[in-house]
Amino acid sequence: MSANKQTSRDKEFKWAMVIDLQKCVGCDTCTVSCKAENRTPPAVSYNVVIEETVGAFPNVRNRNIPRPCMQCDKPPCVQVCPVRASYKLENGIVAIDNDRCIGCRYCQVACPYGARSYDFGLSYEQEMVGYNEVQGSDYGKNHGERNATSVPVGTVRKCTFCMHRLERGEEPACVETCIGDARYFGDLNDPNSVVSKLAANSRAFRLKEELGTEPRVIYLL
Amino acid sequence: MKLNTSQQIVVASPTNTRWAGKIWWGSLLFVLIIGIVSLVKGYFLEGMTSTNLSNIVPWGVWVVFYIYFIGMSAGSFLLSTLIYGFGMHKFEEIGRSALLSATVSMITAITFISLDIGRPDHVLNAIIYWNVTSTMAWEIHFYILYIILLVVELYFSMRPDLVKGASRKTQLAKWYGLLTLGYRNLSQKALELDRKRLKVLGIIGIPLAIFGVHGGTGSIFAVVKSRPFLNTGIFPVVFILSALVSGTALSIAIYIIKNKVLKRSNDVSMVRALGSLLGLFLVVELGLEWYEALIGWYSLKTEELETIHVLAGGPYWWTFWVFQMGLAMVIPLLILFMPRTRKSIPWILAASISTIIGVVGVRFDMVLPILIVPVMKGLPSGNYFPTVSEWVTSFGLIAMCLLLYTLGEKILPIDQHNKEDGGI
Repeated sequence: MSANKQTSRDKEFKWAMVIDLQKCVGCDTCTVSCKAENRTPPAVSYNVVIEETVGAFPNVRNRNIPRPCMQCDKPPCVQVCPVRASYKLENGIVAIDNDRCIGCRYCQVACPYGARSYDFGLSYEQEMVGYNEVQGSDYGKNHGERNATSVPVGTVRKCTFCMHRLERGEEPACVETCIGDARYFGDLNDPNSVVSKLAANSRAFRLKEELGTEPRVIYLL
Repeated sequence: MKLNTSQQIVVASPTNTRWAGKIWWGSLLFVLIIGIVSLVKGYFLEGMTSTNLSNIVPWGVWVVFYIYFIGMSAGSFLLSTLIYGFGMHKFEEIGRSALLSATVSMITAITFISLDIGRPDHVLNAIIYWNVTSTMAWEIHFYILYIILLVVELYFSMRPDLVKGASRKTQLAKWYGLLTLGYRNLSQKALELDRKRLKVLGIIGIPLAIFGVHGGTGSIFAVVKSRPFLNTGIFPVVFILSALVSGTALSIAIYIIKNKVLKRSNDVSMVRALGSLLGLFLVVELGLEWYEALIGWYSLKTEELETIHVLAGGPYWWTFWVFQMGLAMVIPLLILFMPRTRKSIPWILAASISTIIGVVGVRFDMVLPILIVPVMKGLPSGNYFPTVSEWVTSFGLIAMCLLLYTLGEKILPIDQHNKEDGGI
């Protein structure tokens, strides 16, 4: 009985992230910790912080927009993938099956947030001994050693909401390491979760809402 | 019907043609071999790092040439359907060569896009798994259907000549006999049946080429809502029009050049009619491009304005002003509308060649400017120009295309200059 309850509850999780822009100082810790956690190669960054200067001197301010994958509920990348290598999981995460991806990069062109990167097969081995020995565990998969022919080289990659961490009950690396606690992570199906409450805040907005992609990353202005 | 044209020409002007032929084959083979070396060194050994592609500009010159050749193919094929589907026998003489160039262009297009695949070992997934919401998945299947249709149609259009050739005493008789698969029926009834088959294939082919292959390829780009400049209903139509433009220009150029090489006279009224057709397609294309730009511009949206800015005033402005607007629009239009030049065969040839070269710029501008403008303000802008390796590989494949076409002309009864039996 309880086991059944557990599985049905698993399906009920709808992961979402809230990022409070007032708290973000633009330190790029999320970007760095993401890189360390997911062992992303050069030219691949699952998370970036877009820094913009708004206004004219002397009335200027910096606006930092951390940008992970939005894990859209109506994802354009999933729509266009010719081989169904990108798909939506029941927990709300948009996943990529790198063993199926043909590397056509159509999803990269289609993503309105620029959240996807192609793995060109580059490596940090020169700077970091042992980098090639093990790859990051996207979606909890172990792809083993990194070499010219190993998946996910030659395919498209993106932020997974650190699914491998979620599965062992941990928050995504960017949420855990944020120095100003600007990121919140949780279940939108639970009306009492912090993210549910923050999503209802009057400061809440989502990027490019007009495109109808229904992102699962919510910002607080 | 002349079956062994090449031999007859050798008799007509032995040294000249032989030398021209040798230079043609030799130089193309040379470019092809260099291209293959670059392909192995770049694509196979270094992968995508041999290109200047990045995560901001994920598509480059190979995609440009892919849509360039798709356009050539669809355009040539549609021209051939005027003959086989709609019975416009005025253009009879270019029917088979248009079908051959459509087939060869399609093979080249597919080769180009195969290079752009990051995981060639996963490529069969494109057939095994079919995402019905993906325009690209639909295209992959349409291309397969289309290429089968092209080959079947070309075969039936040649079959009576293959049968006749098989019983003549020429070098190619055995080969022709093999291609007929033992079929020897040349009765009126059989010819009539073949003609009907061609008509049916042509008519099935029209929607397949327009909506499936070319409109569909346009849709691959047009459905992308992250790039507002592409995301318009008119984009696939512009794509089809530019296919008609490039296909017509290609057919004219092949016809005139072939006659020049073989020292034969042109069917002047047909070339003029094709020239007017090209002029008409160009005017419609210009109109559609104007509306596309106007509506994007009028919205005053940042992405639209920036894309137009990159297109017309960015570092590669010349692809737009020199190639797209100059070579592929203003110059051919002037030639085809000025009373002095529009009736002259050399001028019509010049207009066609100018268009064929210019359309490369048209395709370049369909892919790259929209990728250079970042999807979100604050993300870096793209910067892309093909590497030497990308260029050399591309030229190699273009040489492959020309070689395949020349080979087709040599070993198949493509030529329909002598219409003694009316062709089919």
